[in-house]
Amino acid sequence: MSGLLLLLLAVAIAEASLAGLLFVFSAVLKLRLGIEIGAASALFAEQGRDFQSTVALFSPATVASFIFTAGCGLAAAAWRFRCWRPAK
Amino acid sequence: MEVLLEQLPGEIGVGLDLLLGAAAAYATVVSGNRLLSAAGAYLHGVCVAVLLQAIAFVTFILLAQRSAGSTYVDVGNVRFAGYVPIFRFGLRSLTAEQLPRLDWLPSAVILLTLIAGLVLVLAAPRLIRTAR
Repeated sequence: MSGLLLLLLAVAIAEASLAGLLFVFSAVLKLRLGIEIGAASALFAEQGRDFQSTVALFSPATVASFIFTAGCGLAAAAWRFRCWRPAK
Repeated sequence: MEVLLEQLPGEIGVGLDLLLGAAAAYATVVSGNRLLSAAGAYLHGVCVAVLLQAIAFVTFILLAQRSAGSTYVDVGNVRFAGYVPIFRFGLRSLTAEQLPRLDWLPSAVILLTLIAGLVLVLAAPRLIRTAR
C-alpha cells in the first residue's frame, strides 16, 4: 500500500513539475495558459496585458498526462524488473 | 572525508568528478538489487514522460503559431488542447508587416533545449555505467 502511495506521489511530483515547466514556457512565450482539471480550472496570465494569445489544456489532456506519466514509469519499471540480471 | 573535501581545489572539474563518482556509487548499489533497480527505472521513466510532454506542448505551440486562426487538438469529440492567437483588428503599419516575423524563435530555442535534456536523460544510465 505504501509502495503504491510512493508511486502515486512520484507521479504527482512529476505532474507538478510539468505544470511548472508549462507555466515558465508560457511566461517566456508571452502566452496565457489555462489548465482545466474537472470542474476546476486555472488561468495564468501576465498582469496588465489584456491582449495575449491563449493556450488551453482541457480535462482530457490533464487525465491523459497523468496516465501517460504513470504508464511510462510502470513500463520502465516492469521492463527492468523482468530483464534484471545480477552484476558480475 | 570532510577534511579531504576541504583540501580539494574548488574547481568545476573536481566537483563534476565527485558528482559522477557519487552517481556511479549510487548506481552500483541500486543496480545490485532487483527492486531498487525497478524503482530507479520507474523514476527514470517518469522523468522521460515529463520531458516528452513538455516537448509535445512546445511543438504544439510552434505549429499553432504558424497558422493564422485558432488551432485545436481533438480526438473524435474529445478536445485535448487549444491555441487562440491574438486577433488584431484595423490597419497595421507597412513596416510592421514587412519585418520578418520571429515568433517561432523562442519556441524553437525551448524545443531544442528540451530535446537536448531528453537526450541527456536517456543517455544518463549508459554514461554512469561507462564511468564506473
